[in-house]
Amino acid sequence: MDLLEYQAKELFREMDIPVLPSQKIHCPQDLKGLKIPYPIVLKSQVRAGGRGKAGGIRFATNTIDAIAAAQAIFHLPIQGELPEILLAEAKYNASQEFYLAILLDRTARRPVLLGSPYGGVEVAFTQDKMQRVVVDEEFSPFYARRLALKMGLSGEAIEAVSRVIKRMYRLFVQKDLDLVEINPLGIRDNGEVMALDGKVTVNNEALNRHYNLTRLLQERNFEQPDQSSVFPTHDFVEFEGKLAILCNGAGLTMATFDLVCEAKGKPANFLNLGSEQAWYGTHADPLERLRLGLDAVTRSPQVSVVLVNLIAGVTRCQDIAATLVEFSDGLDHPCKWIVRLVGGDLVTAEKTLKQANLTTVKSLDEAVSLAVKAV
Amino acid sequence: MQFTADTKVLIHGIAEPLAATHSILMKAYGTQVVAGVSPGLGGSERDGIPVYDLVEVAMKDVGPIDAAVIFVQPYLVLDAALEAIAAGIRQLTIVTEGMPPMDMVKLIRKADATETLVVGPSSPGLIIPGQNILLGTHPAEFYTPGCVGLISRCGTLTYEIALSLTEAGLGQSIGVSIGGDGILGSSFAQWLQILDEDDTTEAIVIVGEIGGSGEEAAADYVAEAIDKPVVSYVAGRHVPKGRRLGHAGAIAANLSHKTEKKIQEAGSSALFDLDIGTAEHKIKAFKEAGIPVAERPSEISKLVKKALK
Repeated sequence: MDLLEYQAKELFREMDIPVLPSQKIHCPQDLKGLKIPYPIVLKSQVRAGGRGKAGGIRFATNTIDAIAAAQAIFHLPIQGELPEILLAEAKYNASQEFYLAILLDRTARRPVLLGSPYGGVEVAFTQDKMQRVVVDEEFSPFYARRLALKMGLSGEAIEAVSRVIKRMYRLFVQKDLDLVEINPLGIRDNGEVMALDGKVTVNNEALNRHYNLTRLLQERNFEQPDQSSVFPTHDFVEFEGKLAILCNGAGLTMATFDLVCEAKGKPANFLNLGSEQAWYGTHADPLERLRLGLDAVTRSPQVSVVLVNLIAGVTRCQDIAATLVEFSDGLDHPCKWIVRLVGGDLVTAEKTLKQANLTTVKSLDEAVSLAVKAV
Repeated sequence: MQFTADTKVLIHGIAEPLAATHSILMKAYGTQVVAGVSPGLGGSERDGIPVYDLVEVAMKDVGPIDAAVIFVQPYLVLDAALEAIAAGIRQLTIVTEGMPPMDMVKLIRKADATETLVVGPSSPGLIIPGQNILLGTHPAEFYTPGCVGLISRCGTLTYEIALSLTEAGLGQSIGVSIGGDGILGSSFAQWLQILDEDDTTEAIVIVGEIGGSGEEAAADYVAEAIDKPVVSYVAGRHVPKGRRLGHAGAIAANLSHKTEKKIQEAGSSALFDLDIGTAEHKIKAFKEAGIPVAERPSEISKLVKKALK
């Protein structure tokens, strides 16, 4: 999950990464109590990129100008997102702008430091412009100096930039981040460095062990992790068709969905119930999870066929079958059911399904072809 | 293969509900589950398996242990894994889902230094039908002994393919799922190397999914170093772009949106290839490496039979 700029900068400040004096602005009137001297920069606090070009960043030299600018920014949606907060910051003239970032590289299976002396809006991610250092072993500041040298820095700039990278790395590890990015890092001729804009992405899985981050995310003005829906948006996707698809496990769901599309079927949705491992974690009863899943895929009245493809590990097929029958009986709009179950006690389960007039199928290919034809 | 019928296995987190179910199944399959660990429950017994407070205490009591299967809660996995490595165990399977990626980085550094093989996290582990070894949660009834090495990322699709191989008369030398998370203990390429050296394995099936770059790396490795026939399948070719199913780690490099745009503009000279992760990119990589790509799961057995001729 991405933090807003002012939240990222709060973390930078805690880590002694230099940031400019700034103040949060909740409404234009707040500017009357501004404690930062003019000239200032007003920045829209949205997660979308391209704020500058969209007009979400404006300069002001006095209170009247600042209030007018703030009013404009508060009413300016950037990629559909309206700011609920602005950041007023001292204006800074840098002689150079660098790019710095730390993220996890899945192939190297290590954190990677990125750096470029050509930062700012025009930053380029080409091999010749962007330098890269893999942190193979425990981090030590020489990794930061290695990046600084690759960036072509010399003299005092080496230490100044390395110090920032070192602190970024500490933040990255301490808070379990997916990404920490400073762009631009302003550099002055006297060697002073300043994080002028920052991006922090927190890792969702690690979030529960970082009280400070959850508190930051729960502040108003910020999207909270959606706890209300059982199935995350990437596991439940809706389309225009009439065929509902319910499977367990990401790979199997994708494979089933692929087959339906290849057969020119028109899915209404697909839902991945998750693996049995996941069921044990959050939803102790797999059958309850199945009921919720069935409810989700059949909720739309346009659904006329339901394709169920479940491979049971320890859950009994007979229990799954009974749940399916009970659910289809209670459904207010009738659907055709194509059920493909795989598991240990299939014979009794198939009997249960047949008695309730739910079509049972042995192979996945057959299930898909029947389901597509049934629409 | 380092796993034999004599492999002695420890269950870390044996009191977790999932472990309670699966330690019985592992034993029933013939796996030598010799000990369980659950701090505070030392001295007790679960389904005939003695439980200890610490891995090293278990080893003092039951003798050397070769492999550990880890079921503990996500934030406790790193500690459990380091504990097992410190006690001298060099084969780990992590079943737990939701382990923070930085913990995995720390574990991999330790595993590399100690030559420990790590499968997972978020993995049903591995099954070796010919040796009756089950380290994890694979449903054993879908598998049968044979010569096909099956490497995949996640659970149920692996079972689907194992079953279709079994029904086609093609038994398996091993079924291993490397896991669905972003940072993985062992890669497709690592398992290709293990299976290339394994005498029982005559053909290898790689089951890929969208997201990440493990399939591309595997394709390169096959072209360079693997002489045995390899067959592949990639799930997710019709999943709308930007939709990554299931796995938390299935998001490419996790850069900010504006950064991603910049990388796209940079095109082929970019530091990161954002196309990596799409089904087309993976299928192309496999085909370029001379690996046949099955159109559907049921086609895999046909391609394997053809490759074995």
